[in-house]
Amino acid sequence: MMTLVSGGAGSGKSAYAESLILQSAAAPRVYLATMQAWDEESRQRVERHHRLRAGKGFFTVEQPRNLSEVKITQGGAVLLEDLSNLTANECFGGAGFAGAEQRILTGIDALRAQAGELVAVTNEIFSDGVEYPPETARYLDVLARLNRQLAEQADRVVEVAAGIPIFWKGEKP
Amino acid sequence: MHLIIGGAGQGKLPYALRTYHCTPADVSETFSVARTKRIFDRFHVAVRAALEAGEDPQQLTEELLEANPDIIILCDEVGCGVIPVQPEERIWRETVGRLCCALAEQAESVERVFCGLPMCLK
Repeated sequence: MMTLVSGGAGSGKSAYAESLILQSAAAPRVYLATMQAWDEESRQRVERHHRLRAGKGFFTVEQPRNLSEVKITQGGAVLLEDLSNLTANECFGGAGFAGAEQRILTGIDALRAQAGELVAVTNEIFSDGVEYPPETARYLDVLARLNRQLAEQADRVVEVAAGIPIFWKGEKP
Repeated sequence: MHLIIGGAGQGKLPYALRTYHCTPADVSETFSVARTKRIFDRFHVAVRAALEAGEDPQQLTEELLEANPDIIILCDEVGCGVIPVQPEERIWRETVGRLCCALAEQAESVERVFCGLPMCLK
């Protein structure tokens, strides 16, 4: 089962994504973190997410790039957080824009082959009407394309607004 | 008239082409060409062009609907960011939003596309 969870900043998408993992019978629970904590704000963000998951039995795997390298126990429940970060890390670091989209799709395929339950968190950052510089516009385009392709593959697609899940595809578990 | 809204890059055009059995030849991106086409894509960009040219996008929209009452209009949602510093950006954003409200009121159907998936709003 694969679920794509999206929403704006502070929409409650992480908590909802986590609840899907907690409701699943799949084990072990793996928190696949993509953020590279490089300043105080990102360290605090990581800290907050650690607190939210405390005592819920998650193993944390940090993988800012090259998702296909991740090895998990067959049948596990994976919370991938998040695609916008992973895409930024792939596009603006490592091997760069060339092949970034494909690297992520291949990584997701590899994860799906291992995981019994995969919940991927992404971001809704496409409705602000801002014309960004070319590099940022290209990043947004890659992320939008990934979101569409993963939505097509997913069993469930959920937008979270004010903590409330809106089902665009599939049904509430 | 049918209205399809959604964020940038969400797949509104592929969805419209598929749903209304259209081809790229049926698509226009300006008020003038849209009079004789089935789909008006990137409505928000045409509104910006009209404002920049000193034209009234509301009047252009009314004239378009009179000439082509069955048109399918595709528009990005552009109002969910920080209020822009530039007055012309603010006016554009606001105009697009108000026009979408007016279009939605008249439309036979309103759909919102998210990650390539449609949701019927009306």
